[in-house]
Amino acid sequence: MRTRAFMQVDVFSETAYRGNPLAVVLDSEGLSDEAMQAFARWTNLSETTFLLPPTPEGRAQGADYRVRIFTPGGELPFAGHPTLGSCHAWLAAGGQPQQAGRVLQECAKGLVPLQQDARSGRLAFAAPSLSRSEIADAELAPVLQAAGLQPSQVLASQKLNNGPVFWALLLDDPDTVLAMQPDLTALHGLGMELAVAALYPQAAKTLIGRASREARAFDGASGQASRPPEVDIEVRVWFNTGASLSEDPITGSLNASLAQWLLADGHLQAPYVASQGINLDRSGIVNIAQDAAGQVWVGGHVAAGIQGEVLL
Amino acid sequence: MQPRRFAQLDVFAHHALQGNALAVVLDGEGIGDAAMLDFARWTNLSETTFVLPPTPEGAAGGADYRLRIFTPAGELAFAGHPTLGSCQAWLNAGGTPRQAQVVVQECAKGLVSIQRSPSASSTDQEGLAFAAPPLQRSEVPASVQAEVLAALALQADDLVAAQWLDNGSRWMGLLVRATDVLPRAQPNAAALRALGVKAGLCAIHTPSSGAMAAEPVLEVRGITLTAHGIAEDPATGSLNASLAQWLSATGHIALPYRVQQGAAIGRAGRMRLVADAQGQVWVQGQVHSVLTGQVIL
Repeated sequence: MRTRAFMQVDVFSETAYRGNPLAVVLDSEGLSDEAMQAFARWTNLSETTFLLPPTPEGRAQGADYRVRIFTPGGELPFAGHPTLGSCHAWLAAGGQPQQAGRVLQECAKGLVPLQQDARSGRLAFAAPSLSRSEIADAELAPVLQAAGLQPSQVLASQKLNNGPVFWALLLDDPDTVLAMQPDLTALHGLGMELAVAALYPQAAKTLIGRASREARAFDGASGQASRPPEVDIEVRVWFNTGASLSEDPITGSLNASLAQWLLADGHLQAPYVASQGINLDRSGIVNIAQDAAGQVWVGGHVAAGIQGEVLL
Repeated sequence: MQPRRFAQLDVFAHHALQGNALAVVLDGEGIGDAAMLDFARWTNLSETTFVLPPTPEGAAGGADYRLRIFTPAGELAFAGHPTLGSCQAWLNAGGTPRQAQVVVQECAKGLVSIQRSPSASSTDQEGLAFAAPPLQRSEVPASVQAEVLAALALQADDLVAAQWLDNGSRWMGLLVRATDVLPRAQPNAAALRALGVKAGLCAIHTPSSGAMAAEPVLEVRGITLTAHGIAEDPATGSLNASLAQWLSATGHIALPYRVQQGAAIGRAGRMRLVADAQGQVWVQGQVHSVLTGQVIL
């Protein structure tokens, strides 16, 4: 055991401590898998990451650093908010990318490119490849029943797989999204993870939509929040914790696959801004962009929270 | 917002990362209530605390520091593992108590005395101990017992005794007939939330032959209610304080005894429950410093 540099950062929010937290151990060389898992269980965060030098293969392909990503239950090949948060922590600790404005992360899934916006400083990761498929009506019916939704409220549906697999529903109204109280035991029994989204009406988004969001977001809250940017879409996600389903505050991987689907099918145009986590008293903001080659980029603000040393 | 001293410690374990984690903001002055709650939600730990100077009344009563305790759902008047962990963090940060062996903590419930063991490193002598608060307990109606057992997927003949336990934190204490019943319990989140029950399951280890001198061991599982579901606690000070008062008063177990908690979630929470000459129950445990640094708040 020795002391190692540590950071806990706030990902995907422009309001302090209303994003998705990530614990990052900056110099993780020599830690066993068991020690990483024990620490990830103890932080109790959705993810804890461990930064390492790239492998020889990774370095040969230009990787700047290597990351291992742990949940309390096991190791992940890739995840969105840990990628943004780890990259932020690596840069904040003095990491120098081989190419200015571009960072190449090595993780178990392979190499993941990140870009840093020169003006805002915001980081974005390249959405991984997606496979998606239709959901048959007969398959969808029990899900809608467990979710407490009427078929008329569902505009489109799709199974999205970019590593994690989500059943995604595009709903009629952001208020439908925010009012949902799904039967989590029933959804868990169906063996699926659920994501829902709805577009704010373009004409009204600065008026009705935002008024509705802010009324919820700041109901009983600190009130010291900076005014959120205009939002195009409201998102909620429920993931499997083993014994049940649990709502996730802000989900990088799902926002990546959701964007690829919604952009490809013409429901939305890039760039757009997604909001997530209001029902959990979070203020998640995800910035979706698409480059000339069609690659989707998932960006968000990362803020410093805790900085210090960990004994591991 | 400014940098403030921060520590995250492991409470009630013989080895770091096996117990109950606690986040402590050491310079808590000037942080608003809403910012405290946002930060406590963000750490995602069962409790986050903020250390402050005592109030004038607290200082007059001998308080060394004042503590505010938050869960992700709100503020608590008192809690066990935050008390031991915050006391250790305050001592580690250079806090000097007015009395050598006793630290006096002011919290919303009042003044709480914490005893320091002279040999904090030994596993025989736990490091710090808090006095169990006064307990109010009452019988659980048979119909409610049946509903709670069903919500835990246990059978009627698994149960030896049940009791409502309230020392500020309200638990249903459930003594089951053997330790092998505990891993069989499968808490149903929706059912426990509907009943509004935090379930404190426990069973007494059968002493192995030849281990006559050893203290008895109580195996514990604490299923608590959270803002949006249920969670299993790695090590629960308040619950174990109440269990000790109930089980010793009713003759089920004699003090001192040792507690093991958290096995079902891969932890090894450890406590020792003792009574002093006046009959006051004390909850002893070790605290390990894991993270130290600064937080911007």
